Amino acid sequence: MVLELHVWGPAFGLPSVDAHCLAAIAYLQHAVPRGKWTLIASSNPALSPTNELPALRHGKDWIGGFRNIFHYLAQCSAGEWVLDAGLSEQAAADCIAFSSFVESHGQPLLDLSLYVSTQNYTAITRPLYNTIQSFPLPYLTPPTIRAAAKERTAHLGLSSLDIDSDDSVPKDDKSIIPESLRKPRATVSNLLASTPETAARIRLDALATNFFEPLQLLRGKKRFFVSNDQFTSLDCLALGFLSLMLLPELPQPWLAKTMTSKFPDLCAFVEKNKSACFGEVEVQDAFANEAAEKRTNERVLLPWQAPARGSPLTVGNAFFTSMADNIPIIGQLRRNDRMRQFSNKSADETTAWRRLTMVGSIVGAVGLFIGFMFHQGFITLPPTHEEEEKRRGLDDFGEAGAALAALASHMDAEANFQRMQEQRMRDPIVEVDVEVDPLKV
Amino acid sequence: MPAAVDAPEETLLTSAATSFSQQSTKVKDLFSIPPPLKKLFDKVPVLVYSPNPLPQRTPKSARIPSLYVFSTPKDAAAGRPSFNPTCLKWQTFLNIAGVDHRLISSNNHASPTGVLPFLLPTAHASASSQDSILPVPSNKLVKFATEHGAKVQESPSMRYEAYQSLLDHRIRNAWLYTLYLEPENFDAVAYKLYVLPTSTNLLVRASISYDLRIAAEAELLKHAPIIDIDDLYSEADKAFEALSVLLGKDTWFFGGDKPALFDASVFAYTQLLLDESLGWKEEKLCRALRRRDNLVQHRQRLLVKYFGG
Repeated sequence: MVLELHVWGPAFGLPSVDAHCLAAIAYLQHAVPRGKWTLIASSNPALSPTNELPALRHGKDWIGGFRNIFHYLAQCSAGEWVLDAGLSEQAAADCIAFSSFVESHGQPLLDLSLYVSTQNYTAITRPLYNTIQSFPLPYLTPPTIRAAAKERTAHLGLSSLDIDSDDSVPKDDKSIIPESLRKPRATVSNLLASTPETAARIRLDALATNFFEPLQLLRGKKRFFVSNDQFTSLDCLALGFLSLMLLPELPQPWLAKTMTSKFPDLCAFVEKNKSACFGEVEVQDAFANEAAEKRTNERVLLPWQAPARGSPLTVGNAFFTSMADNIPIIGQLRRNDRMRQFSNKSADETTAWRRLTMVGSIVGAVGLFIGFMFHQGFITLPPTHEEEEKRRGLDDFGEAGAALAALASHMDAEANFQRMQEQRMRDPIVEVDVEVDPLKV
Repeated sequence: MPAAVDAPEETLLTSAATSFSQQSTKVKDLFSIPPPLKKLFDKVPVLVYSPNPLPQRTPKSARIPSLYVFSTPKDAAAGRPSFNPTCLKWQTFLNIAGVDHRLISSNNHASPTGVLPFLLPTAHASASSQDSILPVPSNKLVKFATEHGAKVQESPSMRYEAYQSLLDHRIRNAWLYTLYLEPENFDAVAYKLYVLPTSTNLLVRASISYDLRIAAEAELLKHAPIIDIDDLYSEADKAFEALSVLLGKDTWFFGGDKPALFDASVFAYTQLLLDESLGWKEEKLCRALRRRDNLVQHRQRLLVKYFGG
């Protein structure tokens, strides 16, 4: 059975716009013999069970994610289609460690360069999704990817590259230096004089250098990263990430610039392996229908197969799926469901109980909060007429009124006291009046 | 005015005095409190209370810097390892660097940066600048240690960053999953450590545990569209394998003759995963670690050397 590799569509002269997809293509290109697999630029992550591309289809099985794919290939070919076999212990360990390094340090760089930076995103990245996805989807996919990219890079403090988002909202600054002692923020004239990329140039350079340097050192004079004659899974990943850093022609090419100026060895690695792995790629290759035309064409190295023409139904389905994922609470629930389905753990009693307590606690907390608001007087019932009447008086004068009210009540008390005394003095007279009645005597 | 000239001086003086006293009483009348108000004020005596004493648990000015970590007050007093990996990493680092410090059991709300650990240096009598008593966040601790005379040797190996990324991503992700999202472990371990000490109210506890789990989930979903449990565990297993190969037969990582920050980072996870007293229920991650004998011994060495066994 022919394996189908589903990926994000081609861009920048590369077979895919996503680094992991490129890595998977490179892996299959090296490990799986020609004719046993085809490449489909379906650009629809909903196909895969893990909701990500690359995804590999083998009959009824769907495998999502680069790592899962190469584990699966090793299984289904009984250890034949493996690139990392036979490495020395140290090389295998390096392969694992540097794979993690490339993913964890390379992804933020790609995010910043292709998605967070406003100029690059609006001029290059967003338009290119029009060429690889059918009509309504390019309106939804790039913003979603961009939002994820921003979240991933938030800890780097480089959100200034994105000048779309509104900065007028004061940021929740974690600094312990008081406001008055901080250096002034970038002013409008500063911003006009320079793009955010130049302002952040030093940080970006440092980030990029931190990524490239260990890789260049690891490769040294070897042909590939961990071995001189074996193309490993690490090389696939590195090729995917490095080629997306080097090849796109962007309005703000800080990443490619750092790479070409400081790390020519890595650039050479990309150039050489890119043409060996992917050949020359053009967007129409991926969508050309006539297989015959492609076969005669020597230029095309990859076993492209045109994606199934999306019927309006499937496109609509994909559209509403991604819409639903973007709605705050519903999206969260959908993600939870997906996770549970995938982990094959049916909702057992503990989770049901947990859910119950959760709902209970939320209801309780809301109730408590409202009660607290009443108690503190943040919320009041509309005043009744009587209360309105009562208010009129010294209270209208504020604090002075309060003081005067105390005085008034004091004077009231005095008046009362006097009245009582007067009464006491009058009482005996009344008695006398009653007792002594001259007419009766 | 002849009359004035003729008049004896006393008269003049007395008349002047009377006119002055009349004027001054007028002024006094102007500024004096009207009787009703005076009565009112007499009812409110001005009383100055002595200043409140500081709360009992206010930190006493210490001789040595204080490291604020997640811990129980008892463990903190005894200097036992913290139960939070990041805190434990820096606690171990300070122990290795020989920076004398005391531990204070705390939580994120106490920290100026919002995360633990942080170090509160002692106020030096000589240093008058404000800097000397500003809290030191964890990313400045290496600098702090070198400034305070500790010899911090970091190996310049090209592998350093790569293997560090194994700890910071692969193992951390598996740790987040196994501690917060594995229901059995959450109830047995995380609930006891992070939720119980914060409140006695059941509702508050339920809400905090919900928050913790959601935060862990959000952190994992940042890097992958779904939480693929098998992948998390198998990647952590491979990460331990790689670390085990890196350590090899050496005593400390990168062949140093003394442990360094990297050893502390590894110890932060190995100690907690191998600590029987935490009571792990789902031990997949612990088992993966136990299979690597040299990592287990590495943890034992650090535990004996810096935490007294």
